Amino acid sequence: MDLYKIGVKIFVANPQVVDIHDFIPVFHGWIQQQKIEGHQLIDVHDYAHVENGPGILLVAHEGNFSMDREGGRLGLFYYRKRELSGGLEANLKTVLNTALHACKLLEAEPKLNGVKFKTDEILVVANDRLLAPNDAASRAKFEPVIAKALGKAKVAPQAADPRERLAFVVSRS
Amino acid sequence: MTWKEKLAGKMPRALADEIDVYETQLELRKIGKIDEKLFAETRLRRGAYGQRYDNGQRHDGVKTQQLKFPASPLTKGPETLWDAPGMQRIKIPFGGLTSAQLDTLADCAEEYSDSILHVTTRQDFQLHFVHIEDTPTIMRRLAAAGITTREACGNAVRNVTACPLAGVCRTEAFDVTPYAKAIAYFLLGHPDTQDFGRKFKIAFSGCEQEACGLVNMHDMGALALIRNGKRGFRLYVGGGLGPVPYQAKVFADFVPEEELLPIAQAIARVFARLGEKQNRARARIKFLVAKLGVDEFKRLVMEERKILPNDPRWTAFIPDAHGFKETLLKSPASLNGQSKPEGYAAWAETNVYHQLQPGYAAVTISLPIGDLTSSQARRLADLARKYCGDNIRTTVEQNLVFRWVAEKDLPELYRELKAIGLGDFGAGTILDIVACPGTDTCKLGIASSRGLARELRQRLAAQYFNLDAAVKGLHIKVSGCFNSCGQHHLADIGFYGNSRTIGNRKVPHFQVLLGGKWRDNAGSYGLAIGSVPSKNVPAVVERITQRFVKERRGNESFQDFITRIGKAESRKMIEDLMEVTAYELSPELYSDWGDPREFTMGDMGMGECAGEVVSRLDFDLQAAERLCFEAQLKLEAKDLAKADELAYKSMLQAAQGLVKELWYDVPNDPDVIAKEFRARLFEPKLFWDRFVGGKFAQDFFRRHENPPTRYECDEVHRLIEESQLFIEAAHACADKLREQKAAQMGALVGGSK
Repeated sequence: MDLYKIGVKIFVANPQVVDIHDFIPVFHGWIQQQKIEGHQLIDVHDYAHVENGPGILLVAHEGNFSMDREGGRLGLFYYRKRELSGGLEANLKTVLNTALHACKLLEAEPKLNGVKFKTDEILVVANDRLLAPNDAASRAKFEPVIAKALGKAKVAPQAADPRERLAFVVSRS
Repeated sequence: MTWKEKLAGKMPRALADEIDVYETQLELRKIGKIDEKLFAETRLRRGAYGQRYDNGQRHDGVKTQQLKFPASPLTKGPETLWDAPGMQRIKIPFGGLTSAQLDTLADCAEEYSDSILHVTTRQDFQLHFVHIEDTPTIMRRLAAAGITTREACGNAVRNVTACPLAGVCRTEAFDVTPYAKAIAYFLLGHPDTQDFGRKFKIAFSGCEQEACGLVNMHDMGALALIRNGKRGFRLYVGGGLGPVPYQAKVFADFVPEEELLPIAQAIARVFARLGEKQNRARARIKFLVAKLGVDEFKRLVMEERKILPNDPRWTAFIPDAHGFKETLLKSPASLNGQSKPEGYAAWAETNVYHQLQPGYAAVTISLPIGDLTSSQARRLADLARKYCGDNIRTTVEQNLVFRWVAEKDLPELYRELKAIGLGDFGAGTILDIVACPGTDTCKLGIASSRGLARELRQRLAAQYFNLDAAVKGLHIKVSGCFNSCGQHHLADIGFYGNSRTIGNRKVPHFQVLLGGKWRDNAGSYGLAIGSVPSKNVPAVVERITQRFVKERRGNESFQDFITRIGKAESRKMIEDLMEVTAYELSPELYSDWGDPREFTMGDMGMGECAGEVVSRLDFDLQAAERLCFEAQLKLEAKDLAKADELAYKSMLQAAQGLVKELWYDVPNDPDVIAKEFRARLFEPKLFWDRFVGGKFAQDFFRRHENPPTRYECDEVHRLIEESQLFIEAAHACADKLREQKAAQMGALVGGSK
């Protein structure tokens, strides 16, 4: 089975314009309208009390969306939980497109005071230590696939600690 | 490769086998071979719990939405959809944790949950939003780290808790850690603990006057004592919170250490035999103790004790308990003029406990409402490796404790904790607010306990340094409903969620309880004075604490103050805050903290806290069915010998389960089982079909007496058919036995009044 438990974080370009709690009513609104196609949106959770944590979390059956502060940077983190039928490259594209779609919706949201997302830098996380342990072999395996899937991009591994998830910072080359 | 394959040989064998069985049960449920009620109790006993909205409905603030899940209408319990996110509870006996375990918990939280580890009020961890099909893998990864989730939920012995300072406490009689550990593993999966009508909670304390293990509020509490140089425990039974809290009764003033395990076992037997099974609301042991009276209860337990078959495990642990010592990473060293970072003094005042052992300190790491992230958990594991080794404990106040930290390392540890967002001061103070999950994830939650706790914590932190010392030391605890998971009865100021209807709208409220006693092992319970809208609770706290500061006499405690001013006056303090203005004037009152939806009670579901009332016999018959199913798989794979063996074992399992109803201590010897089955069930025609008479039993006897020497596909096939029919007949026989037992129990309990 190809890796499908993939996460993509797209960073907020102007975090100063928005309070993290402002995302709570927005996400509740998404649930009312079931705004993300292919996702059963379920509930919203406030983890803003935890430093550099998942922030505000929108739980869905297929994958979760969170206004995440891991690493001290605010961004939309979407991670897939349920199986996708494509290969790694297709799965990665699906996850990225879902995350980008969510960002567009947030940018268009009047209650969020003009929040903008950066697309020149993306964090890709393999959320599966069995299929993608954080080691040299995995890095060698996944790096070219990510580069191919995301177009002409510079792909750099993020965390050296083998306990951390395999992750790459992808930036425009 | 799968995790099962990767971790093969790394898990304790018994645990690995149990998880394999659980995984098979999960597969059987998916194909409808296990009833949903039975599966619910099965998963609960593995710690896999339901969560809010798992009935497939959620009010979105405008309307109730039906949640559409791919596997619907498959369920994992009554009104509990298969695909709906659930919670995995993870038992941490006495809260003892190693750094490697913390790493594994962090990984599981990231990969199967939401990257949050939640510490509960019973020293467990909980992962939320977990898919049921991920639970066997989570269990395997935890098992490889030496952690079990077995009996974390359901009608079983739950996590055994103990004072997090046991062994380093300056006032304890002795270290209760090895005793808590011994009893936890002795009773885990013990046959005598499999037939309870409700859960059973055990706690250990080292000293009477501290909060310690809160023995007064537990089903069974053990308080360490030394009499004439001998170790033992004052044993309490029948305490508990819940809607109506009961103070535990003293079962025995001194139980010598060698009698601790056998008496606990005897208590379990009496509870299993006489405890209520049908009415969940009255099924905890506190009701049985109250009904029989503690003296009669004790008499029954001691009678049971006399007839218990001897078990070497009762005392095998005692020599080790006397020599018990934790492995220390550092030598003791006092603080000696090191520079201290900004904020250190306030942190050290509330979060550092100077151990009995000079030069060492126990450090409390304050977790906001019990939460930490996976990244924080990994960094904490690193800090443990650097400063205290594998001497980590969870606490019932939803924090973590590092024990055996050399005092000279405290400033540096503080600096490093602060760097990962875990350097908050205020452990054990008014800032250290305890909250159950409430409406965030609990099916029974009425109001947002976590939302309220967050709000209060934020407001109180902003004014902490201006608060009177007497107020700083108060405890606040919040439950989302009256079931007391947030232990609101034990707080100086406690709250539990409820609701009031104003016009045609619902308003989230919290009942206010004052004067509970955290110290003295949960020495007394607070009393309700009135219910206020959720959004008025911060004003309630402010008003009550200000009045306390203003009118306090000398060193008067908060409990004494509340007793002195009386209930009527206490209520008067908050009466105006109990009023609810019209929606048009104050719409904010009609929604809860952190949730913009208009408040509703419609999201409440059916609780699983009580578990399903499933008897030991039901589990035995379920195991028999699983064996029979596995026999079919082996037949399909043409492994005839194994298929034959499994089919026979399925009959044996069912027969043993039935015999156990009449002779509890029936051994595992197949000859004895067959003999006893014949004498007790077959010959008296209890195992008897009105159409075919004793045929099904005879099939079993035939296979037992004449095991095959060669295997034919047709014969094995026939044996599997016979074993299936035998199990069907066993179910019918079980009903007859239950009727008999109910009649006998009615006579016995009735006669004890």
